[in-house]
Amino acid sequence: MNSPIKRRRDGRYVIRLDANARVVLANLSAQLPDALANRDPMVRRLFPPAYTAEDQTAAEREYRELVDAALVNHHTEALETLIATAEADSLSEEEFAAWLDAVGSLRLVLGTRLDVHEDMEAPDPQDPMAAEYGLFVFLGELQFLMVEILAEALPDEGRPESAL
Amino acid sequence: MEAMPRCRRYRTGGTQPTVGDPAAVVLPVGVVPPETAPVGDIATIVDQETTSDRPWLVIVWNDPINLMSFVTFVLQKLFGYSKEKATSLMLDIHNKGRAVVSTGTRERAELDVFRLHEHGLWATMEQSG
Repeated sequence: MNSPIKRRRDGRYVIRLDANARVVLANLSAQLPDALANRDPMVRRLFPPAYTAEDQTAAEREYRELVDAALVNHHTEALETLIATAEADSLSEEEFAAWLDAVGSLRLVLGTRLDVHEDMEAPDPQDPMAAEYGLFVFLGELQFLMVEILAEALPDEGRPESAL
Repeated sequence: MEAMPRCRRYRTGGTQPTVGDPAAVVLPVGVVPPETAPVGDIATIVDQETTSDRPWLVIVWNDPINLMSFVTFVLQKLFGYSKEKATSLMLDIHNKGRAVVSTGTRERAELDVFRLHEHGLWATMEQSG
């Protein structure tokens, strides 16, 4: 298999990624923790509603009070892990999971800002959004390859207690 | 699920408290002493009792950002579904716009929704109709 991502025999992950791409990832990640802490509208996609029915506004308010701080902490810790390990030669299982979370957060924020939709065509290179769209595509490729490696480790038959 | 609605069980009890009786104060909310409740009200009470027993559905909605392989992976990881089942749910989400990915008590559903939100999936919950 020719993926630039490998899971080594010792359980650590190696991502073949050039130095510039690592700097870009760390810089993008560094922009989100403040936005998360301040609940900036740019990160709204990271806080989907649980209750959407008209008569459930109180339940939704309770849900937000219950989980929002946990969501902020979860994503912030992942972003900070990516920043701290951006230039590492290899990643532990936990660090790799944090990268996946951070890359996912970045995609959701960028994708929302770009208003991406299915079967969207790449913007014209002159378009002011073209550079950001390029980052979005790069993050998608990275996420795809990371998921591919992680999915290999999951049992195809699932866990026994999981019958719906 | 309870074998019979709570107000029926209550009626089979010994003494029947009257309004103003201290025993009436400890009745569960919404339960009216039977002798004061018209038939229509009892039907309403029974309906409310069973409403709280109906399972909650956890629904994942199609969104244009998350990758299909990522959605399948999250469903396998969080719920322990087989690759086949997770893929089939993902395709339902993709093709039909939404799919029920788990069911259970309100507390269980809320936890599942939270775990899906942690992974960036657009998940909501609603009580089955």
